[in-house]
Amino acid sequence: MQLLEQAQDGVRLTVSTPEEDIRAAAAANDSLILEFEAFRDGRGFSLAAVLRGQGYRGRLIAAGKVLPDQARHLRRCGFDAVELSPGANAAPWRRMDQVFSAAYQPSSGDDRLVWRQRHAAPEDAAALAARLNAQWADADAEDLLRAVLDPALDRKAAAISSFGAEAAVLLHLISRVQPDLPVIFLETGQHFFQTLAYRRELTERLGLTNVRDIAPDAAALTAADPRGDLWRSEPDACCAVRKVEPQARALTGFDTRITGRKRYQNSQRTDLKPFEAADNVLIVNPLAAWSADQIEDWLRDHQLPRHPLVEQGYPSIGCWPCTRAVEAGEDARDGRWAGQEKTECGIHGRVLTPTC
Amino acid sequence: MYRYDEFDAALVRERIAEFSDQVDRRSSGELTEDEFKPLRLMNGVYLQLHAYMARIAVPYGVMNSRQMRQLAHVARTYDKGYGHFTTRTNIQFNWPALQDLPAILTDLAEVEMHAIQTSGNCIRNVTTDVFAGVAADEIEDPRPWGEILRQWSTIHPEFSFLPRKFKIAVIGAAKDRAAIRTPAVGRQIVRGEDGQTAIRVFVGGGQGRLPHIAQEIASAVPGRSLLAYLTAILRAYNLLGRRDNIHKARIKILVAAIGIDAFSDEVERQFAILRQEDLRIPDEELARIRAYFTPPPFQALPATSPSYDAARRLNPEFARFTRSNLRDHKQAGYGAIIVSLKPIDGVPGDITADQMEVVADLAARFSFDEVRASYEQNLVLPHVRLEDAYAVWSRLREAGLATANADLATDIIACPGLDYCSLANARSIPVAQTLSRQLADADLQEKLGPVRINISGCINACGHHHVGHIGVLGVDRKGEEYYQITVGGSPDEQAALGEIVGRSLPADEVAPAIARALDRYLEVRNDGELFIDTVRRLGADPFRTAIYEPIDAAA
Repeated sequence: MQLLEQAQDGVRLTVSTPEEDIRAAAAANDSLILEFEAFRDGRGFSLAAVLRGQGYRGRLIAAGKVLPDQARHLRRCGFDAVELSPGANAAPWRRMDQVFSAAYQPSSGDDRLVWRQRHAAPEDAAALAARLNAQWADADAEDLLRAVLDPALDRKAAAISSFGAEAAVLLHLISRVQPDLPVIFLETGQHFFQTLAYRRELTERLGLTNVRDIAPDAAALTAADPRGDLWRSEPDACCAVRKVEPQARALTGFDTRITGRKRYQNSQRTDLKPFEAADNVLIVNPLAAWSADQIEDWLRDHQLPRHPLVEQGYPSIGCWPCTRAVEAGEDARDGRWAGQEKTECGIHGRVLTPTC
Repeated sequence: MYRYDEFDAALVRERIAEFSDQVDRRSSGELTEDEFKPLRLMNGVYLQLHAYMARIAVPYGVMNSRQMRQLAHVARTYDKGYGHFTTRTNIQFNWPALQDLPAILTDLAEVEMHAIQTSGNCIRNVTTDVFAGVAADEIEDPRPWGEILRQWSTIHPEFSFLPRKFKIAVIGAAKDRAAIRTPAVGRQIVRGEDGQTAIRVFVGGGQGRLPHIAQEIASAVPGRSLLAYLTAILRAYNLLGRRDNIHKARIKILVAAIGIDAFSDEVERQFAILRQEDLRIPDEELARIRAYFTPPPFQALPATSPSYDAARRLNPEFARFTRSNLRDHKQAGYGAIIVSLKPIDGVPGDITADQMEVVADLAARFSFDEVRASYEQNLVLPHVRLEDAYAVWSRLREAGLATANADLATDIIACPGLDYCSLANARSIPVAQTLSRQLADADLQEKLGPVRINISGCINACGHHHVGHIGVLGVDRKGEEYYQITVGGSPDEQAALGEIVGRSLPADEVAPAIARALDRYLEVRNDGELFIDTVRRLGADPFRTAIYEPIDAAA
């Protein structure tokens, strides 16, 4: 519902106007302002419902004495907009408008009727992602996490973390929302020892109780990379055996994957949304909209331990053979697979255009 | 019984988040007290004389043992160790701290309970027949319709700011055990001409200052159209009900003012123009909800139980209890046991946390995990095997819950009155206690048979005194608590308002006066005639005389 900061022009009637006069005014105008004389006087809700039930397609604006707590009532009865009183705070209007995720009553708004949802085919991940993106458009990262971990949504969620340069932010948020959330760490066998130390330190410090180290399949590794130098000749094959397959194995049974990806990280991620879907798996990127500065601020403000390699010039950290420090003026991920076409390892799935 | 699915659970949690946001904005001054009041009321939070009161919804009166235990936990943790069941089958806690309310609501949400719309000018908790699914005379179990109504009315966008409160009751039998002619809308399930479920609708009931018995507005609304029809009624009321005078804002006044025919025309007009297809309950949804209320897995038992019969022969106290507090069950070998919350000298409807746990245990062990709250402010274990009745009674007796007085003279319905309520003119509880002591003799009570006595501490009539066979109303006479007595009211299918018999009496004269009226009944009744039938036959005069003659003679 639109929040209007200025009084609108147009036909303006109070909610004490008789129903037939309101209907006559609606028939003659494509915009109507209904003025509430007291927030307790709920006639305006029924008048709007009557007009919408009668097929009125014009614009309906609520004005006068209404509370933010009535935002959803207004919207669901058919109002398009509300005139805020001068100086009114719009924030509670937005919050109260979106406080319920579903409704028991059909309405002229776009609400999801509980009856229909109960008997509809299960929502696929793409539809769920679209709905959550709309519903949580203005939410901060912690709220996004809470939203997706809400038991009502009944998702089986796991997070993926590299315990890299910026991983602490997502892990910190997880520790505040649900410290026993499964966190998948791909123990590729090629990590910097600093990464392994950091994984232990951060886990302990944040009180995460369900970090899972996932190693490559021993037989597959022996077959594909007997000397441990596959990265040199076929980096994609190396990623496949050390990251892609182990992650797929680790995520079996999870229908929701939480990542720390951000739009600013590289050019393939500029359209990244908080919720996405791939192969009917919901992918959640709570930090999608964060800037590098926000990440830095968060790490500093919450005094989170930094990856030891950051101060040595590694802004993005993967396995040691394929990661180098970056020079001033380079992008953060320019140190990954430097000198190659490769920009992503493949664990973030097909739709996502690679990522890691 | 119904279990929440993800949607129900999410809604209740979201409601707590909404209320917490409102409490925060009230604390910061962003909301004024005037703005906050209706919002807190719609979450069951009243401000009483001494403290806040939280009213928790028990939708259509049905609970499981887990819920009952959680109520005990709330009573113990956040209150003074007890709660109070009301005539609308809710439970009230009288002493919660405002800052504990979000925690209370969160604890309740864990067991699928809430306080949504237990107060305020909105659609209130739906009530039904406490013997739903038990009584042999029911056409259809009304509880699925109660659940449909609970969902449809919850957080309704259009009907949350009505002129006044709006109450709905629904029953599934011709015999009215839920007083459906007293609230705003009463609904009785009947068979439509096509053999399908249909609903007979009564509208315009209401007690309080200007009491009205509801009138029939529709004889058979098809079940699937019920929500559309109710929407039409509420829409007509929301648009036309008075908002200038709180005492004249209820639907009973609107219906009385324009007449049932004009109101009916208005409802028909709204019904004709609203988008009924949106409100038609989908068959699969009706089936889903009905599935929760299929009968529990009863054993095939003979109609009689030798051990039960033997216990009745050997123990006269148990035998008396079964005569007054055990009701027939449509399933052979079972009965429904009324747990009396009316001990002699007790506070009607009050129950301690320990007692709640006893009832929860008994429900889990002996009644398919089900317990009901009744219109009469008692509890009911609906499905007890007759052979278990003695064990249940013994445990109830130890806990002080086996008073053999269901529907008898000491089964008094009373509001909290001036001991708690900021609206009351007079106390209800001490009057109920004195009367209970006066009529305590169990033989006398059995001799009197069913007599419904109701006490309200003020004209708002939460004790339903208008429809008590004998009603007592607290009034304020120059700063003194006085009590007006009515005779001949009835909450059932022959609903009637009682007649005031004369001037009001001081508190200490109420119990003796009622005792005299009941003695007179014993003198003038025909064989086997119930108290209310004697009043209907003879009118109020003989009782008026019995009440006032000695007082006038002494004056």
